[in-house]
Amino acid sequence: MASTMASSANASSNKKSSAPSSSTNNANVIKRLQSELMTLMLSPTPGISAFPSDTDMTRWSATVLGPSSTPYENLTFKLSLAYPSNYPYAPPEVLFTTPVYHPNVDMAGRICLDILKPAGKGGEGAWSAVLNTGSVLLSIQSLLGEPNNSSPLNGEAALLWDRDQVEYKKKVLARHQEPAELEANGS
Amino acid sequence: MEESHYLNCKSRAQNYNPPVDLRLLDYVSIYDNNLMCAICRCPFVDPVVLSECDHVFCRDCIRQSWNSNTSYTPLGPRGDCPTCRTPAKLGPRSATSKILVNLVDELVVHCPKRDDGCKAEVRRCEVQDHVNIYCGYTVIECTDDDCTLPVRRKDAAQGCLHFGVSCLSCHKELQKWKLEAHWRSECADRRVHCDMCKSSVFYRDLEAHRKEACPAMSVSCPGKALGCTSRSKRGHAELHAKSCTFAKLAPVLLKQQERLDEQEAAQKEMSRKLEVLEGGFQNMQGILYPPGVETSQRSADNSLTPSLQERLFGSGTAESTTPTGTAAGYDWTESAVDEDAVSPAETMHTAFSSATSPRQRAAPLPPGPRPADLPEPFSSDFDIASPTGFPPPATNGGPYASPLHHLLSMHESLRDEMTRVSSALSELDGRHSMQILNENLRTREEISYLAAQTAGLQRQVHWLTSSALQRQQGRSPTPGASSSGAGGAMMDAGAGAGVEAAVGAVSTAATALRGAARMVNVGGNGSGSGTGTGMRRGTSEEGRTKL
Repeated sequence: MASTMASSANASSNKKSSAPSSSTNNANVIKRLQSELMTLMLSPTPGISAFPSDTDMTRWSATVLGPSSTPYENLTFKLSLAYPSNYPYAPPEVLFTTPVYHPNVDMAGRICLDILKPAGKGGEGAWSAVLNTGSVLLSIQSLLGEPNNSSPLNGEAALLWDRDQVEYKKKVLARHQEPAELEANGS
Repeated sequence: MEESHYLNCKSRAQNYNPPVDLRLLDYVSIYDNNLMCAICRCPFVDPVVLSECDHVFCRDCIRQSWNSNTSYTPLGPRGDCPTCRTPAKLGPRSATSKILVNLVDELVVHCPKRDDGCKAEVRRCEVQDHVNIYCGYTVIECTDDDCTLPVRRKDAAQGCLHFGVSCLSCHKELQKWKLEAHWRSECADRRVHCDMCKSSVFYRDLEAHRKEACPAMSVSCPGKALGCTSRSKRGHAELHAKSCTFAKLAPVLLKQQERLDEQEAAQKEMSRKLEVLEGGFQNMQGILYPPGVETSQRSADNSLTPSLQERLFGSGTAESTTPTGTAAGYDWTESAVDEDAVSPAETMHTAFSSATSPRQRAAPLPPGPRPADLPEPFSSDFDIASPTGFPPPATNGGPYASPLHHLLSMHESLRDEMTRVSSALSELDGRHSMQILNENLRTREEISYLAAQTAGLQRQVHWLTSSALQRQQGRSPTPGASSSGAGGAMMDAGAGAGVEAAVGAVSTAATALRGAARMVNVGGNGSGSGTGTGMRRGTSEEGRTKL
């Protein structure tokens, strides 16, 4: 069933000139991402924004504002999202491009969050096909303020979160780089 | 006609037209969000309701969602509801009510061949039939019996179109049946409508038209660089330009900016030249003053000024040629150190000057104003000579007011160097002559010492010979000594001859010494004094240490 659908979608995507260069990607994925983009544009969530890259519809970059009354207050974080070809049945790959000091984020920006793992594999993952870019970014934003300290990627941060919030905030600010300076450094 | 055609070739048309994917359709109007599947975010396609939570999804969506999660379920499709995570399954009667199906089927969509030119808008439930039967842009097999190539349905009646033609506009070779599509979306010379101003332009000129000509395009004010932020349509840009002061100023300022840039470039070139020249000068200085000498030269510069002053003072005092002159000179320096405090020296001086004749007091300048205007007579000389007038070239390589100044300062420093070298030379000369003098003294003493010793020896030998002669004279008349007289005389004669020889040797040595002393040019003195050798040795030692 799935294979026939995929083939039909591929056949029609070849006809469709509106689809970007990524001919290997499922036209349905593009369609769904366009729909999500439309939703994000028409009814934006405060503190969250996302936009696809110029060339590839399945690679987005997003911006999340640190939630207020947390150590991440007033800080801006950039993320990159990559959607697999079987999206939305598999979760997008989300990474922080801004350095973040957080119990559930490692040095490379990988995020330990249950909804970002495919469901059914060992019962840990909680990805659901109804989740979308907006809800994923919202979850990440709330994760910033409420870290899951039971399974930390950054153990030091988890310990410090419980022990010393002032020191924790210092570490957060030391690690953080505003997108502008990140660009200046990166290039 | 289309109906009959459908009957003829429906089976073959299926090959070129796969079933329409309803999720890829574009909807004519905005649909209710409640009709949207949460998974594919399209209006439901074959909606189903979950058994436990009543959430509705497309059948394909929920199946694929569950398929990708659970590898195999023997009890048929089941899993958690993607929305509320309630364990659910698709029962035999999971189809939703007919009303929802009708709602989504009634939605009006564009024909999927819209990009090819079909303008049909049909209900979603009919779109498959439209594509399969009616749409003129659907690709079917050629009606010609010998030809199996595809052709669009609306062109099928024209017979086989599979022969080569070339586009009249761009001369591209292609088959006839593709020509229309080529004109529609490929040919570079096709007419397209600018979506801003609605005018018809060639596709290849579209970009240029948008950039430069399109009157509906929004352009910024010509004075944008000066700070005008207004943007207006190209058609109205001139109106704005008439009222905008920035736009009026723009050409003038632009020209000025151009000139500025030009001059800046010229200045850059000049500064580079200057740099090269300065580098050359620095190199020259490096050759003239190696780094080790530099500091001593500077100190020499500093030391030069007071010495010069002293010299000038000296000439000033020499001018007066009176004993009070020196006193006055002393007084100037004293009052230069502290003017207001009445020092004992000054009182002494006043007493002294009052004691001298009034003529002398009038001759030198009064002590008060003198220190103030003292440098004045020499100011012109000082300006050039003093290191403060111009920065010494070695200390800071900063820019000079002009090359002339630079040369002057170079000249000045060269002159300083000359005086320094000459003073060093004279000092060296003095030291050298002093050394020669000391050496001479020592040699002289040495010679005189030797001469004294020789004289002593001479005297001794003299005494010895005289005593020997006395003994000979005393023994020859006495007969008692005749027994051994011959032998003794023989011995004495031998001794006497030896003594004579020794005396001769000593005297020759003395003459030789004298000659040496004469050569040293102090021989006359040296030979004259033959006493106090010990003391002389002491002085000679002293001379050696002094050396």
